[in-house]
Amino acid sequence: MQQREEKQLEASVDSLISLVALTKNALQSFIYKLENEYERLTWPNVLDNFGLLSGQLNTINKMLKNEKTPSFRSQVIIPLVLSQKPDDDLTVLTEQRVPVFSHEIVPDYLRTKPDPEVEEQEKQLSTDAARIGPDVAQKQIQALNKMCSNLLEKLNNPRDDRDAESAASRLNKPSFNPGDTNALVAAVAFGKGLSKCRPPGPMAPGHPGQGPMMSGGPTLQQVTIGGGGGQQAGMGGPGAPQQQGQPGKMPSSIKTNIKSASASMHPYNR
Amino acid sequence: MEAPPVTVMPITSGTINMMEYLLQGSVLDAALESLLHRLRGLCDNMEPETFTDHELVYLLKGQQGNPFILRARRSLSHPTAPWHLRYLGQPEVGDKSRHALVRNCVDVAASHSLPDFLNEMGFRMDHEFVTSGHIFRKGAMKVVVCNVSRVLVPGNTENTERMSLSHLVELSVLAPAGQDTVSEDMRSFAEQLRPLIHLEKIDPSKQRH
Repeated sequence: MQQREEKQLEASVDSLISLVALTKNALQSFIYKLENEYERLTWPNVLDNFGLLSGQLNTINKMLKNEKTPSFRSQVIIPLVLSQKPDDDLTVLTEQRVPVFSHEIVPDYLRTKPDPEVEEQEKQLSTDAARIGPDVAQKQIQALNKMCSNLLEKLNNPRDDRDAESAASRLNKPSFNPGDTNALVAAVAFGKGLSKCRPPGPMAPGHPGQGPMMSGGPTLQQVTIGGGGGQQAGMGGPGAPQQQGQPGKMPSSIKTNIKSASASMHPYNR
Repeated sequence: MEAPPVTVMPITSGTINMMEYLLQGSVLDAALESLLHRLRGLCDNMEPETFTDHELVYLLKGQQGNPFILRARRSLSHPTAPWHLRYLGQPEVGDKSRHALVRNCVDVAASHSLPDFLNEMGFRMDHEFVTSGHIFRKGAMKVVVCNVSRVLVPGNTENTERMSLSHLVELSVLAPAGQDTVSEDMRSFAEQLRPLIHLEKIDPSKQRH
């Protein structure tokens, strides 16, 4: 009877060891990949590795909970000998991790309960939790929930607020005026609204190039630039047909005839 | 002036045959800062340049319908800089597939005797104005945000009066004829300035009356 139990225990320990070894290998290869192949590692790949690890941990858990597995909890391990001397067998067994079975490391490796300090802290926390009455706790929970839901609402509807805000500011403060646009374009294009500044008489001293306006001639505002009506050819004199935009004969006595790059008329070749 | 006025040469080919693609809009002074802020973020990383220019528009009137127009511009902030003479052709706005106004454009630098020269040729000044504002660049695109002022006493650029409480905004690209893809870029850039300002192709002839 006892022999059978011992055999069962041995078998389950063996299978546990093999499962842990599998998990350890998977962990090792994952860490290796993280350290050496992080440049090529894709996120799905990382997720695959995590999935593998969690599957293996699940298998171990299932095995421990299995009815056929004897309760490891009832087994006791007692350190019989502590030694300061390096132990070669132990080194090989633990893959160079634990060279000495000394009093320094044994408490860490054979521990089955948390540190006394940690235990103390945990106890403190649970007494604190127990001291608060259920009413107070309920109120605190409600307050926290309210804050969280408010925050969530704000995070979920940021667009509405922003849109409403900008729309309101737009309504209050127009940033441009189409009328001004047209006035400015007209002023720059053909001097609309600027005409009263046309030099009325002789030029101002010190500013060459502003001769008296010719009387009777059309100003820029009176003639059409665009392809609209009112630009029929031949409204002047006989004159040879000319291209649009090309200079013609002056109505005044100044006979300046500017034909396309006509060399004879060039002022600097004379 | 050492070169002949380029504008009298046939505008057919080579580097001369450049088109200006243009979108225009305006911004109220109250919203000017936010527009400049946005442009600083959107445009090439550079210190925004400011300018103050005086533009004189000259006409050469023939017996036939349309006068010939040249625009002379000088910098008031850099008085020693060369003058800038510009010819602008007829604006084309009809093409719906093109998102910007397109017009022929010839730019040439000129010496300070440009007004005398134009006068001698028979050109007469039609009007003048002073603009001052900011220039931004994004690749080939140029964004000018400026106010426009009347010159109250002819020739005296010290004594001016703002046209309106808005700044004119112009988005322009100089490109060889036929490169309509630039107008796509311009439109997407203009899209990023909405709803602060609306940059559109505005037919100047419709604003005449």
